[in-house]
Amino acid sequence: MAPPPQFQRSSSPSPSQPSGKSEISDLKLQLRQLAGSRAPGADDAKRELFKKVISHMTVGVDVSSLFSEMVMCSATSDIVLKKMCYLYVGNYAKGNPDLALLTINFLQRDCRDEDPMIRGLALRSLCSLRVTNLVEYLVGPLGSGLKDPNAYVRTVAAMGVLKLYHISASACVDADFPSMLKRLMLNDPDSQVVANCLSSLQEIWSAEANTSEEAAREREALLSKPLVYHLLNRIKEFNEWAQCLILDLISNYIPSDNDEIFDIMNLLEDRLQHANGAVVLGTIKVFLHLTLSMADVHQQVYERIKAPLLTLMSSGSPEQSYAVLSHLHLLVMRAPVLFSSDYKHFYCQYSEPSYVKKLKLEMLTAIANESNTFEIVTELCEYAANVDVSIAREAIRAVGKIALQQFDVNAIVDRLLQFLEMEKDYVTAETLVLVKDLLRKYPQWSHDCIAVVGNISSKNVQEPKAKSALIWMLGEYSQDMPEAPYILENLVDNWDDEHSSEVRLHLLTAVMKCFFKRPPETQNALGAALAAGLADFRQDVHDRALFYYRLLQYDESTAERVVNPPKQAVSVFADTQSSELKDRIFDEFNSLSVIYQKPSYMFTGKEHRGLTDISEELGNLSVEAHPAAEALPAQIYEANDVDLLLSTSEKEEVRGPVNNSSAYRAPDYDSTTAALVSSQVPLEADLSIPGLPAYNPQVSSAIDDLLGLGLSVAPTPAPPPLALNPKAALDPGSFQRKWSQLAISSSQEFCIEPRAVVALATPQTLLRHMQGHHIQCIASGGQPPSFKFFFYAQRAGQPPSFFLVECLVNSSSARAQVKIKADDGAAAGDFSALFQAALSKFGE
Amino acid sequence: MPVAASAIYFLNLRGDVLINRLYRDDVGGNMVDAFRMHIMQTKELGTCPVRQIGGCSFFYMRISNVYLVIVVSSNANVACAFKFVVEAVALFKSYFGGQFDEDSIRNNFVLIYELLDEIMDFGYPQNLSPEILKLYITQEGVRSPFSSKPTDKPVPNATLQVTGAVGWRREGLVYKKNEVFLDIVESVNLLMSSKGSVLRCDVTGKILMKCFLSGMPDLKLGLNDKVGLEKESQLKSRPAKSGKTIELDDVTFHQCVNLTRFNSEKTVSFVPPDGEFELMKYRITEGVNLPFRVLPTIKELGRTRMEVNVKVKSVFGAKMFALGVVVKVPVPKQTAKTSFQVTSGRAKYNAALNCIVWKIRKFPGQTESTMSAEVELISTMAEKKSSTKPPIQMEFQVPMFTASGLRVRFLKVWEKSGYNTVEWVRYITKAGSYEIRC
Repeated sequence: MAPPPQFQRSSSPSPSQPSGKSEISDLKLQLRQLAGSRAPGADDAKRELFKKVISHMTVGVDVSSLFSEMVMCSATSDIVLKKMCYLYVGNYAKGNPDLALLTINFLQRDCRDEDPMIRGLALRSLCSLRVTNLVEYLVGPLGSGLKDPNAYVRTVAAMGVLKLYHISASACVDADFPSMLKRLMLNDPDSQVVANCLSSLQEIWSAEANTSEEAAREREALLSKPLVYHLLNRIKEFNEWAQCLILDLISNYIPSDNDEIFDIMNLLEDRLQHANGAVVLGTIKVFLHLTLSMADVHQQVYERIKAPLLTLMSSGSPEQSYAVLSHLHLLVMRAPVLFSSDYKHFYCQYSEPSYVKKLKLEMLTAIANESNTFEIVTELCEYAANVDVSIAREAIRAVGKIALQQFDVNAIVDRLLQFLEMEKDYVTAETLVLVKDLLRKYPQWSHDCIAVVGNISSKNVQEPKAKSALIWMLGEYSQDMPEAPYILENLVDNWDDEHSSEVRLHLLTAVMKCFFKRPPETQNALGAALAAGLADFRQDVHDRALFYYRLLQYDESTAERVVNPPKQAVSVFADTQSSELKDRIFDEFNSLSVIYQKPSYMFTGKEHRGLTDISEELGNLSVEAHPAAEALPAQIYEANDVDLLLSTSEKEEVRGPVNNSSAYRAPDYDSTTAALVSSQVPLEADLSIPGLPAYNPQVSSAIDDLLGLGLSVAPTPAPPPLALNPKAALDPGSFQRKWSQLAISSSQEFCIEPRAVVALATPQTLLRHMQGHHIQCIASGGQPPSFKFFFYAQRAGQPPSFFLVECLVNSSSARAQVKIKADDGAAAGDFSALFQAALSKFGE
Repeated sequence: MPVAASAIYFLNLRGDVLINRLYRDDVGGNMVDAFRMHIMQTKELGTCPVRQIGGCSFFYMRISNVYLVIVVSSNANVACAFKFVVEAVALFKSYFGGQFDEDSIRNNFVLIYELLDEIMDFGYPQNLSPEILKLYITQEGVRSPFSSKPTDKPVPNATLQVTGAVGWRREGLVYKKNEVFLDIVESVNLLMSSKGSVLRCDVTGKILMKCFLSGMPDLKLGLNDKVGLEKESQLKSRPAKSGKTIELDDVTFHQCVNLTRFNSEKTVSFVPPDGEFELMKYRITEGVNLPFRVLPTIKELGRTRMEVNVKVKSVFGAKMFALGVVVKVPVPKQTAKTSFQVTSGRAKYNAALNCIVWKIRKFPGQTESTMSAEVELISTMAEKKSSTKPPIQMEFQVPMFTASGLRVRFLKVWEKSGYNTVEWVRYITKAGSYEIRC
């Protein structure tokens, strides 16, 4: 199926071949002979000739030289001939405006023909000529076309207006066509005419709205109650495509009260049973958007749309399933419980294309919970042996992701270790990366994992990511692996064979860590590694080596604290999109945004974006969209790379100087952090920038932007007066100060109980509830479905230390996002558990 | 904005444009080159049906040896675009006599242009209903010589108006003999684990109809589905008859079905289009009767020999039989020699598919059949045997059997002239994706 190196450019008219030339002059001659002929059978002969001409045209032979003959021959009443002639003219008019002028005459005449079909065809051809200097000839026929007694002609005319608008906007507006379309849309008995008017008006007014206020008003008027009701009541008369158009319009309509919402939903309920999946999806969009403000109804909608969505996914072509699955994925991110009992629907079939399988794997990952994890992981393990390597990799990653979601970790670790025993390069590679991430989150498993990992020969691991993971583990757990220093030494000896700078960086760090644990055994390797690193031509590697070298020179124990500090287990990996981005995509449900997983402004528009760096774009975007003052975190999202959990010894090093501020100079810190950070983007969001006294806020925000993290700097402005618990008191000013100084010590996202969602109808109850748990609220705000609260609490006893909490609650997806900052980072974990427990009791 | 397609291209497998239609000027003419360069010539092909190149998005689908590509520059409705392509292909097929490939496209340029102009205007889908298009299309499809001759072409007559209320049916149809054909076609999907437990199993069914009825008939269809039966007994205030009732997970209907009435009375009533159409589709996950049980045993005898035993049992009624049964048993790539014994049908080793294909033309109900094969492998350098084992796949058709148990209880035809109709009802169950892991 490999295409040949050079394609024939058959699409564009190419100079005709010499052999074709004689054929064309032949055709020309024959057409001339037939042009005036009234003989019986002449029309049939002409038809054959016309067909030949059009075949030539299609395969790319330039037959434009026949223009005048074709036009002459088309002076006929035979509709078949006319159609072919229109086709021919439409193809060549744009390139030959002078010739096009020749055709105006007969097209205009045909627009007045008594047969409505000819009128319609002629009008369509006339509008499709796309020649600017012929615009004046269009206005007349279009005007009469809009008033034509025949619906077919009006349908064509309604679209013709839009075509005219694209050729010459001013001519279209000057002729007052938009208002004619509007009248037609409201009064025409034919549904297709109405639909075409609507499409045209939507486009025209959207384009005009930028320059004209009136057009902007008119565009708003398309969403006015009378029009929406007019269309809704007739929706069954429209064909399926027009229904999609109308449903899309209605999804933007804002009803005035709840009764209206229910009326619309009742009216559209049966659309969910329509055979056309596009209509079903359109209806689902309307339902979801209408009920956004009503959490409980929104949940019911999810239940209602489940069955139709599953049907859509399993019927139709793989391409359609793909489109539906993308939407399912979006929905399941908002409401993970939705499909958790239907997980079997997402089992892959052997013959399905990989793009469907990939999405199904993502679905399985997203819906895994306590009750179904075992079955899902069992199924995923089947795929790890799949023929398609990329699917096998995805499956392994999915297993790892589920493990990180905290369900049934025990069993999953066993399975991951079994993967390592399969002894397939790609399986081993993927698994190593996962085991590394697992260990960062669940250090308690180190014993089991290390035993298995220790048996893997580094020679069998080639992929940089996997190799880095292996090296990281060697460094991190060198005390448990007797062979670690020698394996590392061996790797250092082969420094030049290793071409990835990622691996070299990891190797440097691992050797350092190993050195602190087992100095005599590692000393040689360390020396060799530092020497190799200093000689490295890669700036990152060189700088890192130099940095370590100087650290060691300065003070060995400081160096250890920097390179190998005691670590906290990672609670949440930053592999999620910002909630704002997600909401925007949800707003554009049933469109390409969902497929690309980014809002439309990022991929439409004039400037032609390259295919490549999506992540780069996103990175820039998050800097633009979230100035440092904004409290929302913007996290880097990378569309295709599921595995965002980056290799990360840097992180720990950055985190190193916690509790260690005095021995450390801020300028050093700044420059090294910046260097390290620049070496590897993206980093994780749980990266904790230590609260150094000499910490410079400007630097911090610069780093934030660099990372695309936008660590919260200021809470919501003007906090309301606070009710203080005698046990803890903090004024808004100090809160604000503390908030901007401290780093996030814990960040979590979890589900909240449905009853809590119900109770959130009055957010004040949450404040009182938390007060009961000695957690004070300092500021709160937000509109349903998303609320934001800032809490604080103070530890009783000595030394007094504050905990600050930012809590985002989304009542429609029933999720809460909690970020905790603490004076004493070590206690943050306990406090987080306390806070979560308090929140989970809410609504009881 | 539902689709607003800027252009539609038909490409062959080499990437040559067979035919194209540019609806809008907002994409450059070189878009198809971009598609060839970034998708067709790379490994991208087939990895994702939606791709963004430059400022444009490409939706593509392969149908036999043709790529159908839609180019859009806006944030289009993907589901709508794919549905449009699927419907358009079905339409082309109906004109080309069931064929849709490079040859049939090359033979029908003018017709395709005509159709493309009618079904989409300036990128917006218009009308794809064959019944209405008959009024506007002048060309006759060139059919392959093997397909049946088309019926008489109706005289194009645009003045014949189709009313909005029944857009799918023309007035004034007359048939000498009024007949209705109804087929329930089910495809049963199964995924069975190597331990013999059912991992996943469901039925997707559709009801296909062919109507040759005069005038404007009203049809009413009754099935033995649970909701419908309960509603009926409720209305007639008598207890539901005992017997098997079927729970439909989800149903979708052709646009001709009166959905308001379906939701209130739970009966399927409709004014059918003329000729062939798909009345409804449904999905069932509970209480599926699997027509076949497959029991594989695979033994490895040393490094170069394998023994494969597959037993297939038919578990439908003894009076029925399955047709065209095919069992594909995967064997390793390095298979050198195979020998078989089968109790019925014929088995063959297919090296291209890496499997043993066992075909049984007619498989009676309540019987079983076995195949035992011995496979010799080339000894390879690789120490590990490949652990990728594709599942056993099965194909079959069982006439007069429905895996869901769905039955037509009645099909009533009512027309104001009161003619008599002949109704024909058939059932058939096919294998969808019937996979048994081993």
